[in-house]
Amino acid sequence: MKGNEFDVIIIGGGITGAGTARDCSLRGLKVLLIERNDIATGATGRNHGLLHSGARYAVTDKDSASECIKENMILKKIARHCVDDTGGFFITLPEDDLGYQSKFVEACKAAGINAEVLDPKEAILEEPSVNPDIIGAVRVPDGSVDPFRLCLSNIVDAKAHGTKILLYSEVVGFIKEGDTVKGVKILDHATGLTSEYYAPVTVNAAGIWGHHIAELAGIRIGMYPAKGALLIFAHRVNGIVINRCRKPANADILVPGDTVCVIGTTSTHVPFEECDNMHVTPDEVDLLLSEGAKLAPVLSSTRILRAYAGVRPLVSADDDPTGRNISRGIVLLDHEKRDGVKGLVSITGGKLMTYRLMGEWATNLVCKKLGVDKKCVTAVTPLPGSETGGLEEVSKKFWTNPSTPQKATVGRLGDQASSVFLEDEYDQSLVCECEEVSAGEVNQAIANLEVHNLVDLRRRTRIGMGTCQGELCACRAACLLAKARNCAEEEKSDLCSFMNERWKGMYPIAWGETLRESAYTQWVYSGVFGMNENN
Amino acid sequence: MKYDTIIIGGGLSGLVCGISLAKRGSKCVIVSAGQNALNFSSGTFGLLSRLPDGRQITSPLEAIGELDENHPYRIIGEDKISEYAGMTAGFFEECGIKLHGNNDANGYVVTPTGDYKPAWLAMEDITIFPEKQEKIGEKVLVVNFKGYLDFNSAFVANAFEKSGSSCRMETVSLEATERLRRNPTEMRAVNIARVLDNESVLSEFAEAVKKLIKDEDVVVLPAVFGLNNAASLDILKNNIGVKTLFVGTMPPSIPGVRTQMLLKRAFEGAGGTFLMGDEVTGGEISGHRVLNVKTVNLGEVMLEADNFVLSSGNFFSKGLIASPEKVYEPVFDLDVDYLKDRSLWYDQDFFRKQDYMGFGVKVDSSLHALKGGDAIDNLYVTGSILAGTNQLYEGCGAGVAIFSAFYVADSISGKKEN
Repeated sequence: MKGNEFDVIIIGGGITGAGTARDCSLRGLKVLLIERNDIATGATGRNHGLLHSGARYAVTDKDSASECIKENMILKKIARHCVDDTGGFFITLPEDDLGYQSKFVEACKAAGINAEVLDPKEAILEEPSVNPDIIGAVRVPDGSVDPFRLCLSNIVDAKAHGTKILLYSEVVGFIKEGDTVKGVKILDHATGLTSEYYAPVTVNAAGIWGHHIAELAGIRIGMYPAKGALLIFAHRVNGIVINRCRKPANADILVPGDTVCVIGTTSTHVPFEECDNMHVTPDEVDLLLSEGAKLAPVLSSTRILRAYAGVRPLVSADDDPTGRNISRGIVLLDHEKRDGVKGLVSITGGKLMTYRLMGEWATNLVCKKLGVDKKCVTAVTPLPGSETGGLEEVSKKFWTNPSTPQKATVGRLGDQASSVFLEDEYDQSLVCECEEVSAGEVNQAIANLEVHNLVDLRRRTRIGMGTCQGELCACRAACLLAKARNCAEEEKSDLCSFMNERWKGMYPIAWGETLRESAYTQWVYSGVFGMNENN
Repeated sequence: MKYDTIIIGGGLSGLVCGISLAKRGSKCVIVSAGQNALNFSSGTFGLLSRLPDGRQITSPLEAIGELDENHPYRIIGEDKISEYAGMTAGFFEECGIKLHGNNDANGYVVTPTGDYKPAWLAMEDITIFPEKQEKIGEKVLVVNFKGYLDFNSAFVANAFEKSGSSCRMETVSLEATERLRRNPTEMRAVNIARVLDNESVLSEFAEAVKKLIKDEDVVVLPAVFGLNNAASLDILKNNIGVKTLFVGTMPPSIPGVRTQMLLKRAFEGAGGTFLMGDEVTGGEISGHRVLNVKTVNLGEVMLEADNFVLSSGNFFSKGLIASPEKVYEPVFDLDVDYLKDRSLWYDQDFFRKQDYMGFGVKVDSSLHALKGGDAIDNLYVTGSILAGTNQLYEGCGAGVAIFSAFYVADSISGKKEN
């Protein structure tokens, strides 16, 4: 095989593409993964980070619900360094119909989800942030998951099994012979050069952008872009996931994650052209705040860290204007059967929770097309980071008396923390104080984790994701990147892009403490550093 | 407790106003909540470098006439501004702070990110160049402390390379600074400066730098020396032997912290009382006069005075507070000039002009605060809380802070004489 020939080309570096690449490479295939941006830039990094139990879909979409609970239990084993097993409540407020609760519990049981009805008083004791007026509560096995970490772990493992990763490379066309897709044409955004790669099968795993990818092959999938807006709060107000026990609607899930919590979502149909640049509107902020405060009243006085929005890659089934009634189920399309185009498969629909199963389905089809007979092992093979024991155990294995940055690194990387050199005090100097990210961890990411810029670095290390939203850590990290790559000039403009990316999530909610923080950051960057729109 | 003047806010403006008044025999108190802009200053003062429409200004005093009528400079008046600008360096000199610069034309300083920023005056540490990208030498050695992440030697070296010098980067590691690294958050400017205030450590550092010099004619160091006394800067320059320049670091700013401390000392030396770590929470107003204010620490004990000066700063210092619906001044609920529609507060580009930074308290021609449209006769407003200017954008924060303080001090003293 030549350098540009592969068994399978996977388009999309989100969780679906990453999971599919891992599965394919574990089954011995030679894999190329192409992403036009960075990993986890689409819906993968723009959701609640909810480890669904499936309960949310139990009443309306039983298949999705049972897929969710199975994957939930698998992820708790194979990705424990990405998962926080918080448990979840479905609460009934006085304005909701308590009659829905029994229907809900029945549906959960039918889907294999453990649902336990609680006395509301008991629920309040267990989760003091919950609205004290609740008239019903059900416990389900929800949790939270770090989607960046999860995506990265799949990428790291795929790479370890021979997958070639091309980031910032966009598919601009398919190479076709008659009705068969033979490969793809790629535009490298860093160099501006185009090149060609060949494989007997190409998997379209590009999320909502998969609509456009299919069009390049002359195929119409009929996707439905549904924008979902969310808010991150600066404190972890709840320890347990809080959902509304009613038909899925706006702003009815509050998920704790690390030191923060996230409320969401909304659901609005948006044109495809807007998918690359989602802005959260004041109306969405108001709605999320007022509905969120019904779940946990303290939210109305909690500082908001950031607003963001993602686009769900739903596949249309009817004319539902909100997209709420479209199944969240997995859609696997064999374009040979569906459209008469050979060598192309699309994997879409689904959710973060079911990414592994989506990868399994897609890989099964790829293997069938290639005549490869290998079993899927992703359900039983832990991801890098979760290969040895719990976090305490891992931490003790490396260091007798772990320092704070060492503990933080283990928290993020699990057993992969051994790849970070943290012995030297220099490596332990903190780059990001909010998230306790050390110079050693930043340098490790720069060296090994396909980092092109500061925003990539944030997705891999969490720098700039804490309460200050990247005030000084961004500048420190920019300097480390400039030194490692010897590119001070480029790093300066990279720093500007990073600050703008942070600001995008801040200005929709910039009042109170958030505005104060922004004013300080602006004073530092413009007033002290003298950086302005000309940079 | 009764004073002649109570100043709310211990930043640059409050201190300058307090020193001016105390020197003239006024019994003054400054109530300071804590950190202010001096702590993260660039070590320079700006008078005016850009007009609200974006035009760059090289001769600030000549451009004042082009500002809007409600700009604090226009309220104070062009002639007064020129007079005050001429007084500034002398005023600071008397407080033990040496400033250098030029009233007629802005110069430029190299910033922590290696950018060139216009400046009117600079503290001793920071060099003002008459032109952008002035070549400082043939060969430049940029030296940093090992493990100190808040000085961007790569960016700084890049700036000097662009101006035609060849640059080399080195780090120094001293036993005394090594101790700081045992705690991962300790390697920050103030801690380093504190360690280097010890003379033997300072000369050890100078020796270490000297050993690193090969054929360089200029040494560039982070501005983390002389926390208590700028004399350290001269000692270093003399010991290193070649031309030595300092470039600012990420906050906190050592030149800024030192300036704040010397101003506070000058204020207290002139007989003023500085209440550190206290916060004015409200005041009683009757018949267009403030009668008293109360603070967190003093509880029910009211502070009374003939005159009050509000120098409480902008959003960062909580002089102004924004809620989703409005922007307000929390102590007296004064009239605030701001845009009602929140979507107009921001530009989506972080580095462009942000209109919210131009919000402030409305004043009359004597810088009396307005409340409900009426002037409060004994309440004056100075510094970054003033309406009529986006100080960050226009590069006039220090100028407004200092000149409004001089102007108010003059008004208050003049009133007494009459």
